[in-house]
Amino acid sequence: MTARQQAVTWGRRLAAMTWKEILQLSRDVPLLLFLLYSFSLSVVVSGAGITMQLTNAELLVHDADHSHSSRELIHRFQLPYFSFAGEISDPREGLRQLDQGRVMLLLEIPPRFHEALMSGERTAVQVLVDTTNAPQGLSAAGYSVRIAGLFGSETGLASAGLSGAEAAMPRVSSAHRVWFNPTQDERWFQSIAHVLRMTTIFAVLLPAAALVREKERGTVEQLLVSPLSPFQIMFAKVLAMSGVILIALSLALYGVLHPVFHVPMKGSTGLFFLLTTLHVFTTAGFGLVAATIAKNQAQVGMMTLFVVGPMLLLSGITSPYESMPKWVQTVMTFSPLRYYIDITYGVMLKGAGLDLLWKPVGAMLLLGGALFGFGMWRFRRQFQ
Amino acid sequence: MALKEWKETTRDRLFLLLAFLLPALWLVVFGYGLNLDVENIPFAVLDRDHSELSRDYLHRFMQSRYFSFQGYADDERALDRLLTETKIRAAIIVPERFQEQLAAGEPASVQTLLDGAFPLHTDIAKGYVIAINQAFTEERLIEYLRRTRGLTQEQAGALVRPLTVEVRYLYNEEVRSTWSMVPALVMFTLMLASPLLTALGVVREKETGSIYNIYSSTVSRAEFLTGKLLPYIVISLVNVLVLWLMAVGLFQVPFKGNFLLFFSASVLFVCCTTGIGLLISLLVQTQMAALIITMVVAMIPTILFSGLLVPVASLTRGAKVQAHLYPAMYYTNIVRGSFLKGVGADVLWTDLLALAMFAVALSGLTYRLFTKRPKT
Repeated sequence: MTARQQAVTWGRRLAAMTWKEILQLSRDVPLLLFLLYSFSLSVVVSGAGITMQLTNAELLVHDADHSHSSRELIHRFQLPYFSFAGEISDPREGLRQLDQGRVMLLLEIPPRFHEALMSGERTAVQVLVDTTNAPQGLSAAGYSVRIAGLFGSETGLASAGLSGAEAAMPRVSSAHRVWFNPTQDERWFQSIAHVLRMTTIFAVLLPAAALVREKERGTVEQLLVSPLSPFQIMFAKVLAMSGVILIALSLALYGVLHPVFHVPMKGSTGLFFLLTTLHVFTTAGFGLVAATIAKNQAQVGMMTLFVVGPMLLLSGITSPYESMPKWVQTVMTFSPLRYYIDITYGVMLKGAGLDLLWKPVGAMLLLGGALFGFGMWRFRRQFQ
Repeated sequence: MALKEWKETTRDRLFLLLAFLLPALWLVVFGYGLNLDVENIPFAVLDRDHSELSRDYLHRFMQSRYFSFQGYADDERALDRLLTETKIRAAIIVPERFQEQLAAGEPASVQTLLDGAFPLHTDIAKGYVIAINQAFTEERLIEYLRRTRGLTQEQAGALVRPLTVEVRYLYNEEVRSTWSMVPALVMFTLMLASPLLTALGVVREKETGSIYNIYSSTVSRAEFLTGKLLPYIVISLVNVLVLWLMAVGLFQVPFKGNFLLFFSASVLFVCCTTGIGLLISLLVQTQMAALIITMVVAMIPTILFSGLLVPVASLTRGAKVQAHLYPAMYYTNIVRGSFLKGVGADVLWTDLLALAMFAVALSGLTYRLFTKRPKT
């Protein structure tokens, strides 16, 4: 046999094996239906439904002054951040509602509030914030302080007859320009984030489960005595599953992200798919390593859960990566999702090309190569 | 029956080890590692003024723990590139004549460029910039008023800053992320691990065919289902205790509520989560499908709709509906309520009732779905 013929048979065997995996997957109707749901309807719901920005924080007011100034201040707590939940006459009622979690803030305005402001005295309002959810509570407190502070300095200066001269005062203001998503449409972020989550979960689980299934049933021995090399067995699984995931991803991209949320694709679509394939392969590497350690599917489930959980929560889509403790950032250099996040948002929203993205791409290549190599090595050793 | 399932589970050492280890390890990793406060925002600076005042102004950003200084840029093009590469998330451009204008009593405008890819972080970063500007402005104003009006520091201060805001943080007095995260993480780990354990247990029998032994035996439907569930409920409840001990002992989260209430809510919740696993396992044929579907069904709504990260109040209507259709939200309320707020059954009874209803509905549903004569 010439080298060319050998390559052809090698390729044919790989193709046959890949086709077998696809057939096997296509018979699992519940799984396929679920895959479809995950990349379509589920993206719509999560994309449209979630806002992490402070919105509609229920604000209760106890106004002991009932003056022009107090009403003016209350009026400044506005949507989208705050929604006015009513006024109460007894502060204890406010505490009760906070306990029940019905409102998030209670604003207390003292008596003589207006009088003090007008006569140039200092005065204070009290804000009680529910911080059972710490970031949201802090954010709400921050907004309250800013709103009241600005209101105070405006009325204070006005009472001294300085409001007309405001333009000629040494103030520092900032003009904000928001890039890549100028309208701050959070649905762009959330829908992309959801697709990233789904891609990652499926990329870890599908090949891992497919490999362990063969081990558990003992069919892997049959495959190994066949003329297939261990590499072909493993690689065929990854190939088949990646193909399926890529199809599902394009469904999400062209069926949901573009038409429903109008998410732009500023960079090259080809590059995006190429790098997605790289991500799927690298992530699948984790699954394969887990699959070589596990003896049955229950074990592989627990093991992948162990990897996927931190990956989803700590890679930077659910929490800000920069503010993580250093050790988490170090551990997360092993998460392909961490690079894929930069790549996806870079290509889709920022229009970045390979010239800017070579660092995450290189890191992912290294990681993917290492994982595949390690998985291969373990797989071979187990069966020889 | 339960004994048989128990033996089968315990025989698999690695699996058992993971079943107990996973929740505990997760609590440690996320409890220490998951920081939701936006800090260390990387930023770069283009200072066109190079004056003492512009340096003083920029210094406030460099010293703030919310920002992390990455260096000076020479022109706007360099800033563009850094933003596109995600090396920085914010840029500040101080205009020429910054010091001159302020000294002359005129307003000055600083430009900030923000990376809008993550709207939440953008919004928070914008807030920090505004806050620093406000503080800087107040100082300039006080200084200005003293100079032009001959006021004392005290008088000028009262004019510029007449209103202070006293903020009282309730339930989590030091506003620690860990305090609010750890109780919710107890929910998170339970929600993920228990259904997975259960789902795989049943489908394993289906796939290997040993379920036909059950079909042909005298074991009744109810016996089979409870037998399947019981070991996993026991494992999960042991985990509840371990997690509770860790939360109180290791993370020093105060537990202000009633332990009995917390524990009975946990029993109900664990019945729900294992029930979800059982339900899925009855609907699918292969372990692979069970594994993936359970993981997605358990993980995604729990991360997004349970109140773990985003309060349910700030979801849109569609998402809110989904949140209410899922037991995780009620249990989050109970866990956070018992840990941080110290409220009792008088406040939490609606959540308890909802959990109980879920538990009953799920077991009813699984009982209906499980027949000893499946269609082939």
